[in-house]
Amino acid sequence: MQINKLLIANRGEIALRIHRACHEMGIKTVAVHSTADADAMHVRLADETVCIGPPPATESYLNIPNIISAAEIVHADAIHPGYGFLSENAQFAEIVESHNIIWVGPKPEHIRTMGDKIEAKRTAAKLGLPLVPGSDGPITSVAQAKKLAATIGYPVLIKAASGGGGRGMKVVEAEEQLESLMSQAASEARSAFGDDTVYMEKYLADPRHIEFQVFGDGEGAAIHLGERDCSLQRRHQKVLEEAPSPAISRVEREAMGERVRKAMAEMGYRGAGTIEFLYENGEFYFIEMNTRLQVEHPVTEMISDIDLVREQIRVACGEGLSCTQGEVRLHGHAMECRINAEDPETFAPSPGLVKNYVAPGGMHVRVDSGLYTGYRVPPYYDSMIGKLIVYGRDRDECIRRLKRALEEFVVEGMKTTIPLHQNLVRDPEFLAGDYTIKWLERWLARTAV
Amino acid sequence: MAQPKNPAGSAESSGGMRIDPALVRELAELLTVNELTEIEVADGDRRIKVSREPAPVLGAIAPAAAASAAPALSAPPMHGKEDVGAPPEEIAGTTIKSPMVGTAFLSPEPGAPPFIEVGKPVKAGDTLLIVEAMKVMNPITAPEGGVVKKIIVADAQPIEFDQPLVIIG
Repeated sequence: MQINKLLIANRGEIALRIHRACHEMGIKTVAVHSTADADAMHVRLADETVCIGPPPATESYLNIPNIISAAEIVHADAIHPGYGFLSENAQFAEIVESHNIIWVGPKPEHIRTMGDKIEAKRTAAKLGLPLVPGSDGPITSVAQAKKLAATIGYPVLIKAASGGGGRGMKVVEAEEQLESLMSQAASEARSAFGDDTVYMEKYLADPRHIEFQVFGDGEGAAIHLGERDCSLQRRHQKVLEEAPSPAISRVEREAMGERVRKAMAEMGYRGAGTIEFLYENGEFYFIEMNTRLQVEHPVTEMISDIDLVREQIRVACGEGLSCTQGEVRLHGHAMECRINAEDPETFAPSPGLVKNYVAPGGMHVRVDSGLYTGYRVPPYYDSMIGKLIVYGRDRDECIRRLKRALEEFVVEGMKTTIPLHQNLVRDPEFLAGDYTIKWLERWLARTAV
Repeated sequence: MAQPKNPAGSAESSGGMRIDPALVRELAELLTVNELTEIEVADGDRRIKVSREPAPVLGAIAPAAAASAAPALSAPPMHGKEDVGAPPEEIAGTTIKSPMVGTAFLSPEPGAPPFIEVGKPVKAGDTLLIVEAMKVMNPITAPEGGVVKKIIVADAQPIEFDQPLVIIG
């Protein structure tokens, strides 16, 4: 199977990222966009464009009929969903494949399995991945919850089965709070997701977020590309990511890498995936698997020299993986700063006209962004306007280069989180790699004036 | 869309000659097939020039995209997309835009007479054309009564969201 024309079912920097990989591979691109994105960089660069709806994403970037119709009228051979939007929608993947269009993504059944939190854990356990101790399935009664919590040990966490973003999630410190917090979690889950199913797991007090990049060919071959440390988060949103993690030893990396690689091979997983763990006291605990490309994929590209989007397209065409595990060579250190159009202190969104834009450059500095002077950041979507990724032969060189690049970065006309990153990369604890998933929020509270 | 369509033929003659529609059509076809923008033939005093706008790219016709050419001053150079496609003429009336992505059909079935004709009246609720999306025929109806001022799209033309279809006045 060969792809001549690929439809990019996304927007912003990731749409541009996919466009770039396609053009390097000699593949024509089709940008589908909302009326708010007619001026977007990827729309301007694409070979063909189709407007698919008004600004709200539900009527454009999530509008399956219009996206499929667009693919049909331009005769696209393939659809790349990017991240977010329809990237983890198994039904969309099935519709794409039933129209004889190549889906640049995992098999729909794997998207479905990993999209259901309980099913995902069951599958991960079956594949030999370590889980956070907890209920094997939904918790149906308070009595059951009390018994289980006693075995796991308090504190425990009550979580919504179809939840996300922290909603329907409660930390229970002691047995007397269990009943009331469990019903609160269930009612939050019902109103937010229309499903009040909850489950329980051990509450890890102060872990790191470590995720492994995996790739499968769908036929039983799989590789891993090491881990990324995404512990620096604010309200469950990643802010700065690095690879490798300053907390993981080579032995740990190779051992866990091999476990996830084997799991993906056994599953027959196809395409790019990320297996997320919490890491505390030398133990990994599986939290979930993302069956798509991640925002922070460039840090892995920097230390592996593998273009992940190109690899996704290769696999989707049935050409298999470009290398074996033995050929993967991870080297040096990479970091990514997510630049948001937000006030760096209050985090209030700050969309608007870009009056001046100067991206940093120089050796091993990469900026993935659709910004340009004169562009208007629309208020309808995610506030991330770009990613700054730098590489160094070691963590120290990487940080020094990152500091230098952040000094050069100019975005005028709106507030951005660049000043936040400038401060962050000077913090002694960050410099020492001494942080967890709770560290950034504490740091923000501490540095707030 | 890369498919060239609707070559805008304009015949030009040196005198008060009679226009040969067959010849013009043939030249227009040559223009399209070879993706040229202009062709000129001379036979003695008789000269015919046929020209067309470069193949319109989907999206370029959308007013939003056309407008974006203005602030592009300091933006990086782009494909010709923004420069191609004539801006829509100013015609007074109500412009009916496509509510979806699909393919426009001007008649109920191949070979049948079109739903509407320029200069003919329509009543509110009359079907103006059909937009086919995912094998479903979606009738596009007149929001109000009036006279068809312009049919902007051609039969079987791919249509994007918000694309102007018909002007009624």
